[in-house]
Amino acid sequence: MISPLKTLTGAAAIALAASAVTADIKVGFIGSMSSDTGLSTLRGAEIAIEELNAAGGVLGGQKIELVTADTREDVTEGVKAYEYLAESEEVDFIISGSIDDVSLGWLPRMIEYQIPTLDTWTSYIGIIDMVVENPDDMKPYFMNIASDEALATLYINFGADVLKAQMGFESVVILAEDTAFGQAITGLVTEALAPVAGIEVKDTIIYDINTVDFAPLFSKAQESGADFIYQVSSVNSQVISSQYVKLQVPMAMTGVNVSALGLEYWEDTGGAGGGISTLSPIPSVGFELDPASQAFVDTYQAKYTSRPVMPHFNGFNAYQGLKQAFAAAEEAGGFKDVNGWNAAMSKQDLKLMKDDKLWLRYGFWDRDTVEPVTNRTYPQNALFDLEAPYDFAQPSMVVIQWKEDGNVGVVYPPEYATTDFTLPSWVPAK
Amino acid sequence: MTSNLNLRHAIYWALFAGLLFAMPYLVSKGDLRTMIFALYVGIFAMSWDFLSGRTGYISFGHPFLIGIGAYATAILSYRFDVPVMFSIPLAVIITMVASTMFILPALRIKGSYFALVTLAFMELMYQLVQVIRPDLTGGTRGISGVETITRGAVNGFYLAAFLAFCVALFLWLLTRTRLGAAQSAIGMDEEALKGSGINATKLKLFTFVVSAAVAGLGGAFYVHYLGSIAPRAIFDINFVFTIIVAALLGGAGTITGPLFGAFFLTFLLEYLRPWLPGAERYLIYGGVALVLYMYQPKGMYAIAAKLRAGVMK
Repeated sequence: MISPLKTLTGAAAIALAASAVTADIKVGFIGSMSSDTGLSTLRGAEIAIEELNAAGGVLGGQKIELVTADTREDVTEGVKAYEYLAESEEVDFIISGSIDDVSLGWLPRMIEYQIPTLDTWTSYIGIIDMVVENPDDMKPYFMNIASDEALATLYINFGADVLKAQMGFESVVILAEDTAFGQAITGLVTEALAPVAGIEVKDTIIYDINTVDFAPLFSKAQESGADFIYQVSSVNSQVISSQYVKLQVPMAMTGVNVSALGLEYWEDTGGAGGGISTLSPIPSVGFELDPASQAFVDTYQAKYTSRPVMPHFNGFNAYQGLKQAFAAAEEAGGFKDVNGWNAAMSKQDLKLMKDDKLWLRYGFWDRDTVEPVTNRTYPQNALFDLEAPYDFAQPSMVVIQWKEDGNVGVVYPPEYATTDFTLPSWVPAK
Repeated sequence: MTSNLNLRHAIYWALFAGLLFAMPYLVSKGDLRTMIFALYVGIFAMSWDFLSGRTGYISFGHPFLIGIGAYATAILSYRFDVPVMFSIPLAVIITMVASTMFILPALRIKGSYFALVTLAFMELMYQLVQVIRPDLTGGTRGISGVETITRGAVNGFYLAAFLAFCVALFLWLLTRTRLGAAQSAIGMDEEALKGSGINATKLKLFTFVVSAAVAGLGGAFYVHYLGSIAPRAIFDINFVFTIIVAALLGGAGTITGPLFGAFFLTFLLEYLRPWLPGAERYLIYGGVALVLYMYQPKGMYAIAAKLRAGVMK
């Protein structure tokens, strides 16, 4: 007869052996768990992890476990969240869906802990500058969205090619929210759009993010005498755009409208969102997808029924970026050797083709390569291409436009366009 | 001054110091990190309590003071390479001077008007750091990469614990003086205090400057712990509420109570994280705080006093 003690000892030994075989690799998610953009990163990571686990695991058959830390888009909560992932959960790798100032808040913690971290949403060029100035400390950091300087550079081409050349617009009034994001984009537009594209900035109107009545602001914009409005809105963006439509403001409005980046935009504006255009990182809504990206979206939509029904660009970044991070870890023997992982991650290069054309490229700029248009380096930042025909990589962004019938399409650059840029029906042509 | 101090007090403070010293041997590094945040919130709550809890002048703008200290040392050390050992004392002095300049007119008003004026100061500061010399303040994104004084949870904890202990002891000793007794009389009956010949305005100014010095000191060390600063992280209404709720839950007017209130709130929120990683935990957090405050408006300090009295019987 087997004694209970022996049974217990045997069971413990089996459990220990089993845990040794299936010891988990922990991935931490840091970001907002209540925003569409934060959820896009989280879900992209979840799908990638499920696929890696289903394929037999990683790093010698280990299973990946995902733990989450909500930042509520709050800077201090972001620091706490990073500490929680590092100290309490002891994660091996972190994927971030954080906004700019939240990422800047936890960056000193990343430097301290040296945990490999991939940012999928933050696009602040200042962080890439930190990589340039402080390469050793910033080795664990990668940003797989084109930095905002690259986004703005291509947008200036849109200004010159479409707004000025096609529409005949000579002047702009900027209508920007009072946030870090708003300030940054406003700075880039005033410093670059105006002088490079030859468009005069007539006025800059800053508004509080809690603004609910935009009528006085639209009146002020009209009084400026500008040809069109450049709006910068990342918080409650559906409010400004729906009021623009309902008030039939007789000026074109383009710029950056974060709510218009998701398929829920039409529903959020109650169907009053037509005519709005916004720049968007890639892949955007209305963007034609290559077969691999379409497969990801199909999996996503089969798995999730709540919003966002279509992942934002950072969902794609998380999905591909997490797989690349693990491919780099396989090469470096794990995540512990940050130098080894950095070298392997820097070499990751996934080219997705559509109709025999390079459509999307997930890779990173190296330390020395100088981007020819901006004439600077972008180490550990996502690859992008600022010049047609985009045979090196995809453009840093596209411009999308919501039409008055609720359809959405890409209007710029022409190589990726699915529809033409048009003025809303109530706006007179110049 | 010290006639109301006795051996029992010394034993309590020694036990408190011993507990703080032993903490890294008793808890995980993750818990230590949570404690560091709790200690800083505790310092801010004690600073608030010294002004508002004892005098009845409710400040909604405490982050204004914390922010001056934090930004001053961040700018001095990050932009001008001033060593931290100088930038922190300078930041405290700047906070005291700046707060005096701002608050002097506000001391003439009372009640909700005082609270609203302090709230306006915070909002003013939030706007100012974004538009006035953003090349220094970092504008809306703030400054990342501020020199950190410590590395690792244990060192960070010992620094924060030492600071919180010193602040608590200093403020507690101050309240045991005749000055402290007069200060609490402001909250009871300011007119009667004036009738007794005490210059209430000077007393209020003294209270405010001490509170500002503690807030500035805490803010300065806090930013060198975080390694970054952003206007949204400091001049935020939620931050004000965290400080006030910590003070009220811990026990307003008790100085050390707010420290325990800060621990309770911070740990409640962090311990809920594994089960409720999203915003839901804030509902629990708010609910528990509400129930606790309804059950005992005088805070945890009063609950602890009741328990102690029960044990002594």
